Amino acid sequence: MLKIHVWNLISRHFSQVSWGFVRIALFVVFTGLVLPALPRAPLTSQQFVKTDHPAVCVHTRLIDEVYEWKIQRSLEMVREMGADTIVEFFPWAYAEPKQGVLNWASFDVIVKHAQNQGLHIIARMGLVPEWARINGNNTVSSTLNYLPDESFDDFANFVSTFARRYAGVVDSIIIWNEPNLAFEWGYRPVNPTDYANLLKAVYASAHASNPKVVILAAPLAPTLEPQGSPNGLNDILYLKELYEAGAAPYFDALAIHSYGFTDPPEAAPGRDNLNFRRAELLRDIMVEYGDQDKSVFITESGWNDNPRWTKAVRPSQRVAYTVNAYKWAENNWYWVDKLCVWVLRYPYNTHSYPDNFTLITPDFIPLPIYNSLQAYARGWKLDDQLWLPAPH
Amino acid sequence: MAARTSLAFFARLGAVLNIWIWGLALILFALRWDSVERPHPPIRDLFPNGEIRVGVDASFPPFAVATDHDLYGLDIDIAEAIGERLNIPVRFVNLGFDGLYDALKVDQVDMLISALPIDYSRSNEVLFTVPYFNAGLELVSQSENISGMRDLSTHSLAFEFGSEAQQQAETWLRRIQPFKIQAYETANFALEATRREFADAALVDAVTAHLYLRRHPEWKAQQQQVTDNLLAASVKVNHYETYQAINRTMQLMLEDGTINALLRKWL
Repeated sequence: MLKIHVWNLISRHFSQVSWGFVRIALFVVFTGLVLPALPRAPLTSQQFVKTDHPAVCVHTRLIDEVYEWKIQRSLEMVREMGADTIVEFFPWAYAEPKQGVLNWASFDVIVKHAQNQGLHIIARMGLVPEWARINGNNTVSSTLNYLPDESFDDFANFVSTFARRYAGVVDSIIIWNEPNLAFEWGYRPVNPTDYANLLKAVYASAHASNPKVVILAAPLAPTLEPQGSPNGLNDILYLKELYEAGAAPYFDALAIHSYGFTDPPEAAPGRDNLNFRRAELLRDIMVEYGDQDKSVFITESGWNDNPRWTKAVRPSQRVAYTVNAYKWAENNWYWVDKLCVWVLRYPYNTHSYPDNFTLITPDFIPLPIYNSLQAYARGWKLDDQLWLPAPH
Repeated sequence: MAARTSLAFFARLGAVLNIWIWGLALILFALRWDSVERPHPPIRDLFPNGEIRVGVDASFPPFAVATDHDLYGLDIDIAEAIGERLNIPVRFVNLGFDGLYDALKVDQVDMLISALPIDYSRSNEVLFTVPYFNAGLELVSQSENISGMRDLSTHSLAFEFGSEAQQQAETWLRRIQPFKIQAYETANFALEATRREFADAALVDAVTAHLYLRRHPEWKAQQQQVTDNLLAASVKVNHYETYQAINRTMQLMLEDGTINALLRKWL
């Protein structure tokens, strides 16, 4: 009798609890029915880019985007702007979090939507998974940019697999980013010979996987850091040393980062000055080492219009300088294949000056720079006054 | 029968109170744990290099700017004041914006102070101190009838074209009766338009507002905070004792007016 009574108590208590769960579940289900569904991102009919200026290209930041529809909308806006090529980051750490276990899902989403919009992709490779950052027997405190020599072959294997998977779709691959900066080189001592070895490790296997692949040597950060600086090394010196280290046979083209900072695009380059035409000094080194037949892809460029950053200009200057940079490149730089602006959009605001490099806001509102680049690329005339005159 | 009733009562009471008692115990334990004064290690042990290495992107006035031989700005002064309070010399490491958090992660620096907003998405790597400035959007107006965005109906609002202020203005246009919007090339022009009474109010970031009002002390405008963008120093997440020392010092500097004095100096 006592057993039955306790059992009744338990079952009644349980039924109360389970009824509570049922009610919560019903609430969740009904809420889900009432809430609007997230926009879907079905592929449309095949799109094509209309452009009068095929050099126009933009660097995107899609890999950290959570929603597929935002990836699709971003790429639509690239196409509508008249750019036929994007540069996008494909982090090794995202695709191979465990050695030998590959997950291409996030890459595939970007690639399929880019294809659907009729866009070419230049893939930038980097970011090292944790298992490949192990140095000897110890896991050192390291950033995602830290690639020990022991892992060069693992990275090369990944690049090779990537090249094979996306052959015919992604045929341009940048190996690393700004290795002349300590932070981009994982706070290892910056060393062009090490980077030459990385190119050497990658080149043959990538070509074996995709004979049409174009391996781009990493763009160097425009910097005046002297020899021995803990922060990095002057890009001109670095490129020279890279050639001295015998890297030339292991890349097919050179990527360059060519920011204007506060100078207009026509301003003459100088060894002690960072501006848009610094690219010419890097090209001079290519010629000096007999590499004049290789193409150059400017994979990051542009001006910033933050009101406080010391290297920024006003919004109207940013617009004018960027459009004039394209005119300059088309008229004077026959050796440049693509001139890519940094950056289409961030998934969210940084609330600092990097936001002032974007062409559209996280909410897809086009900024004046987007409208102006679109007008240039599509051959349109911009008549609308974007803002009121200065109130004087 | 009496035994059964008694047992049923206690069983039911236990079932009902069980969760409450455990919950209360957990809360009390958490409160007690938080209030336990644990001995702090000597400050010098927290900085084995004998200095506080402060990561900063010195290209962003008035927070930090580099000259050929020197660094200056609000963030520089705050870091030096922290060093002074802790009696540890400060060494600044000038970094690019992109490299700040990585430098902290690999112990190139002990702390960051570089006009960095509190970013909760980094909370697995970084601990942020109490904020020292709110750099969010401010509504600046000399009209007594405008004390917030809700009062803008039928008035005119100036802002920088394409800025966060424009996004905010467009959001408010969907919430209240219409108001006129006036986009300018820069936030300073928006403030200038308001001061010259071409617009009733300007929506600009707090730093621009403070600097503009500093240049125009004769202009009696009111500032209302509209959005938050809290700037704070940060320390690597597994250096909790270092964080405590720096956060405590920041808190004390906020309480005794040191931070306010520095804000008045630079903004």
